[in-house]
Amino acid sequence: MSTCLCDAFFDDVARATVEVLEHLGCTVEFPERQTCCGQPAFNAGDWPAARTVLRHAVDVFAGEAPVVIPSASCAAMLSHGAQILFENEPDVVAIKQLGTRAWELTDFIVRGLGVTSWPGRFTGRVAFHRSCHSRGSGTGDAVSTLLRSLSGLEFVDFDEAEQCCGFGGTFSVAFASISTAMGTLKLDNLLAAKPDVIVSADMSCLLHLRGLAERQGRPLRALHVAQVLRDALASSEVGR
Amino acid sequence: MTDARDEIFARIRAALKPLEARTTLPTFDASVAIARHAQAMPDLVAAFTQALEAVHGRAFRDPTALAAWLRTKEATLGYVDPEVLAALGPAFATELTLETSFSRARVDDYHFGITRAAGAIAESGTIILDDRSTPVRLAALAPWIHIAVVPRSRIHACIPDAISALGDDANIIWCTGPSKTADVEGILIEGVHGPGEQVALIVDG
Amino acid sequence: MKREPIDQFAAKQSDERRTSVRLGSNACHEKRTQVLHEDYADVDLLRKLAGQIKQHTLEHLDSYLEKAEEKLRARGVKVHFALDAEAACQSVLDILQARGAKRLVKTKTMVSEEIELLPFLERHGVECFETDLGEFIVQLDADRPSHIVKPILHKNRREIARTFQQKGLGTYDDTPEVITRRAREFLRRKYLEADVGLSGANFVSAESGRLVLVTNEGNSRFCLAAPRCHIAVVGIEKLVPDDRSLSVFLNLLARSATGQRLSVYTEFICGARSADAPDGPEEMHVIFLDNGRTEVLGTEYREILRCLRCGACLNVCPVYRQASGHAYRSVYPGPVGAVLSPLLAGKRFLELADLPKASTLCGACAEVCPVDIPIPDLLVRLRNRGKQEGAPSGATPSLGGFAKLASMPIAWKAALGMGKLVDHMPRAVQPGPLRAWQGERDLPAWRGGAFRSWFRKRGKKA
Repeated sequence: MSTCLCDAFFDDVARATVEVLEHLGCTVEFPERQTCCGQPAFNAGDWPAARTVLRHAVDVFAGEAPVVIPSASCAAMLSHGAQILFENEPDVVAIKQLGTRAWELTDFIVRGLGVTSWPGRFTGRVAFHRSCHSRGSGTGDAVSTLLRSLSGLEFVDFDEAEQCCGFGGTFSVAFASISTAMGTLKLDNLLAAKPDVIVSADMSCLLHLRGLAERQGRPLRALHVAQVLRDALASSEVGR
Repeated sequence: MTDARDEIFARIRAALKPLEARTTLPTFDASVAIARHAQAMPDLVAAFTQALEAVHGRAFRDPTALAAWLRTKEATLGYVDPEVLAALGPAFATELTLETSFSRARVDDYHFGITRAAGAIAESGTIILDDRSTPVRLAALAPWIHIAVVPRSRIHACIPDAISALGDDANIIWCTGPSKTADVEGILIEGVHGPGEQVALIVDG
Repeated sequence: MKREPIDQFAAKQSDERRTSVRLGSNACHEKRTQVLHEDYADVDLLRKLAGQIKQHTLEHLDSYLEKAEEKLRARGVKVHFALDAEAACQSVLDILQARGAKRLVKTKTMVSEEIELLPFLERHGVECFETDLGEFIVQLDADRPSHIVKPILHKNRREIARTFQQKGLGTYDDTPEVITRRAREFLRRKYLEADVGLSGANFVSAESGRLVLVTNEGNSRFCLAAPRCHIAVVGIEKLVPDDRSLSVFLNLLARSATGQRLSVYTEFICGARSADAPDGPEEMHVIFLDNGRTEVLGTEYREILRCLRCGACLNVCPVYRQASGHAYRSVYPGPVGAVLSPLLAGKRFLELADLPKASTLCGACAEVCPVDIPIPDLLVRLRNRGKQEGAPSGATPSLGGFAKLASMPIAWKAALGMGKLVDHMPRAVQPGPLRAWQGERDLPAWRGGAFRSWFRKRGKKA
């Protein structure tokens, strides 16, 4: 699943995801009829609309193959949000089945495939923004494990790391002042640590943070973890 | 009034009726809630003293030292529960004025109040008071300095022990250090409505 | 675009106030985290245990409430039941009037705010004083608390000093020690003159009937030492099954609220004073309050009734830190308030239906809740309820159109192609949400369709 954000804005992240998975020996399919995981409507309380979207997703991703997603929030939607959304619905079983196969990318790599180190170099100071929807999942540890195994990469800490960046889907426009204040505070904390790049497993956070940073005239290099892993691979294949 | 009672119970039952699976009361070992530092306390008096001092209380084992400390605080007039006079010893009253009955009308005259503790908790540095051992509630509460006489045999190790020993007194108070507030800008101030000094005098028995 | 009232309130906050709230909340949160991890190897285990005990109690509330009532009555305590706020206020007044009581002192209890007790009593000629320092200051200012544990988190010492001066508590002095000393002296007179001491309760043990009161200042002790009558107003959800479970709750409560291992005073009260004791109340009353709780008990939101009122969720919430408590327009602010306030509002649910939306669903609250309440799940359920009941959507964009698009792949792909137009559209004519986004943020370049054609092309190569 590429996610609607990558479909619209971040094609390179989706590309990097495919390349990373293929490096690991996976055969990657991209069902063309896919659209969205239903999270925006679910979070906004429009559950009938969310169900429509998810039923479409169940249809598109029918089968047994793991569904790998470069987004912790979409993965959480499919495995957790969907259970709540469909708890009284007749097709809850099919929804649950999809949920058991849904994986955020790095969680898939580390816990799904058992790969705990990554080849190649990625030089620079990295501030890892652990997105909120990865709370309680394997993603935070997985990203940390993989990035720390890269040579040349220096993890930097920053203050109030556990505080949300303020995106929150429709929250970002419905509560724009608070969202901006939260994002600005996050940027202040991130940039104070002088990272070379900010890395996350969720483009939604980076969409918001980069958007704010650019508007505020503060340069910010931000990459999805898939891009970091792909770039590291490229460095390790330089000899080829 | 009975109508309200019946109505509320009827509402509760109606609310819970559709619930098929009910959560069972979990079993657990009391030790699950005991803090790390309190898991092994070979010397309860020492542990209690340390914990009391950690919450800015003071512990004394010698009445003479306590009396000397009171004098340094210029705390010269106090109420004493007559039952603890023996434990304080005859020299205690030197340069101090002790009254054995508490006058509510003169509540702000007392610099200190000495009362009996029902027990203590080593884990938290808590002094336990109840109506049986401290019938004059104000004596342990109103003066700036409260001194509780704690028999060492009544020091419980941990909070679960103290809870099992609660007994049937209608008014049990666990005092863990001097009264305090951080309401003004988060700044810690000790001595609000209750005592500003919480003292334990540990005695044999 | 019209903004939600919460966002508007937040935007108007002074930087000074925002900073007091943010730093004060963060400091408490850090203390909480430090002490819990220092003291326990598995904090989550404890939280889940406490949560289960509370859930069990709620799911058997009729039998536990009955037990507690029996125990209390056996100790001579007069037990009353109040269906709603008005009934509770009237109950209190009836007790006062039966005793000819005109002066009341009270400890901090959110339930009294919920039922608006003090204005009611004052209208009936009872002189009332809040005795918790923060609540006393709120009372002097005719203000409202902005946090359930730290009521004046939003005030600084200068504001307090001015209030004291205006109310005749001395010349201007903003030293915290002086402020505290003045309150001590003023309120001591009030305790000693009061006819009735009123409290809430943090817990009620069904096994022993004991009310447990958790405080720091000594005000609760004074309310139960000086006046001759004690009235406790307690929400029915405060029940716990037995005394033994208190060791779990008491260990979690103060640590979660302020980072203390135990609050300074923990009182276990199950009756009036004995006949020969000189101090304390000769009469004790407990008023068990419903006020919407039984209604919540019957819904899928019942887990919120586990709440211990520790405030840990407020302290960690990034939205609360920016907006502060008053933004929530209700007695209970922050994450717990965003669930509880609209629910307790009963028929007025829609007035507060925007509260559950004031959240990014980040989940920080659920991670700190000592009774493991899945607050984000409850928030999202309430959003569903709000939408179904026709709550005004405020500034939240409607997603019906998006959802249609997302279930029609051909239309979706067409939109991916057309999206390029957004890059060239003047902001004024862009769809609402995009316009709102770009109020403060840049949008990246539109890349719709780029990944798909890349994937398709490499497929063809193979």
